[in-house]
Amino acid sequence: MSSQDLVAGSLSRADHEVLFHTVINTAVDGIIVIDEAGGMLLFNRAAEILFGYTPEEVLGRNISMLMPEPYRLHHNGYIQRYMATGEKRIIGIGREVTAQRKDGSTFPMYLSVGEDHVGGVRVFLGILHDLTDRTSRERDFQELQNELLHALRLTAMGQLTSALAHELNQPLTAVMNYLNAARRTLDGGGEQAIGRVREFMDKAVSQTQRAGQIIRRLRNFIEKRDSDRLPEDLNSCVEEAIALGLVGATDRDVKITTELADDLPPVVIDRIQLQQVMINLMRNAFEALENADVRQIVIRTQRPAPDFVQVSVADSGPGIPPEIMPNLFIPFSTTKSKGLGMGLTICKAIVEAHNGRIWVAARREGGAEFAFRLPVVEVTEA
Amino acid sequence: MSTADPVKIFVVDDDEAVRNSLAALLSAEGYDTQTFASAQAFLDNYVPSANCCLIADIRMPDMDGLELQEELNRRQFKLPIIMVTGHGDVPLAVRAMKAGAIDFLEKPYDEEVLLATLSRWAQAAHTSASQTAAAGEFQTRLETLTERERQVLQLLAAGKPNKVIAYELAISPRTVEIHRARVMEKMRAHSLAELVRMVVALGSST
Repeated sequence: MSSQDLVAGSLSRADHEVLFHTVINTAVDGIIVIDEAGGMLLFNRAAEILFGYTPEEVLGRNISMLMPEPYRLHHNGYIQRYMATGEKRIIGIGREVTAQRKDGSTFPMYLSVGEDHVGGVRVFLGILHDLTDRTSRERDFQELQNELLHALRLTAMGQLTSALAHELNQPLTAVMNYLNAARRTLDGGGEQAIGRVREFMDKAVSQTQRAGQIIRRLRNFIEKRDSDRLPEDLNSCVEEAIALGLVGATDRDVKITTELADDLPPVVIDRIQLQQVMINLMRNAFEALENADVRQIVIRTQRPAPDFVQVSVADSGPGIPPEIMPNLFIPFSTTKSKGLGMGLTICKAIVEAHNGRIWVAARREGGAEFAFRLPVVEVTEA
Repeated sequence: MSTADPVKIFVVDDDEAVRNSLAALLSAEGYDTQTFASAQAFLDNYVPSANCCLIADIRMPDMDGLELQEELNRRQFKLPIIMVTGHGDVPLAVRAMKAGAIDFLEKPYDEEVLLATLSRWAQAAHTSASQTAAAGEFQTRLETLTERERQVLQLLAAGKPNKVIAYELAISPRTVEIHRARVMEKMRAHSLAELVRMVVALGSST
């Protein structure tokens, strides 16, 4: 067909009909025409591809079959309301809606609707523009952004603990020096020894107080972050913490089992802080398995009573020696050669700042189980 | 104190409590000590003399321990330095060792290790030829290492933690620990610092 042929008036009536069909069926967007009862009169090629139906499967049937619930149920009501009131909610305006394919899956599309009369019958013409690509790209980007933000905040907590370690090293070093100096002075004897030792002891005490203040500052820092507390789904927090905290664990023959209760109410928490606690407990569990024959970690969420929820991390490691148990949450008590003994202290501070409680128990089958509980706060609908 | 000569120890640390407590400990052990709150204060007062040793914190505001070391090297002051580092500063400490520090200590350090280093140094100060003589001995020890142990040694001397070494050699951290223990044993090193010192000595002799 040359451009000459397209000049208005130069086409025969038959050619017009061919042109009309060509336009309809080569259109990239879906085109559907319905009558005022919602029955489909036209279903173009693009619509076939979008929905997976052939025209034979849909023509004459109600347009609502292309919509997911709850719109499916209400669509006829929308047409009737429009016919009764003349109030246009979509006609001539257009908006983003969700459509349902033959296989039941849904996709976002931009729907614009026009209205006309053909042979005395009122018809509606819908043009459907598929938004799948754009939406998924936008969602991917947003997810990526969220993950990045999350990782950054977790790193910030990590940096905080690392800075804390540096800061605590100072008074700790001074305390050790003073006590060692005191011991050596005593060993050396002499008249002035007692006086010198007393002086060193006093200085060691004041350095211990300095360490205590650093810990208190950390507690204040944690408690001040109230503004970041939001109602969160505990299970999704746990799952995310597992992904971050136990990455690579299964490569080391560690079996990770999760038992997540499905009746948990949302908890009002600082997600980052609580995940820090979870990751800490998971890493401890993982490290406890290093030389164990049975290598298993069980992570459980539950609601043992109506007013609180509980998270526990159990391992099949050697367990915690009874003599160490009472000191576990005390700063600087550690059984790790490279540990600072701060992890569980920080965990305790975070859980208690959330009005919760953290504890450890020996498992009957061997190994240790750390658990913490958080109060359930009634969340009023905004 | 096993040496007859008086030995003076300078302590440079910006933290007052750390500085004073270390001086108290060293004094109790019989060392003559002098403290400085900054690298600059030390440089302003230091007069080169024999039988002196410097214990400096690696992390300080303004001029840090490494910069102080550079400045001393630039002025060609042959002052033995023991670098004190915080948690996880090993790569920095390795740099200091390569620039000539005699040892490094991780805070909070074991007094026994510190005092042992000092008395070793005080003894070695009398036998200045010991450095080059030792390189030959280190080479003999190095030759007893397996290929894998040598790889671990190199990464350790670069200041890398076990986990990173495990990753780079594609072996488990547990295996790295075993190799590490064998390397320390075969090289007869009592600390990572000593091991790094040996590698530095080997590097400068070949």
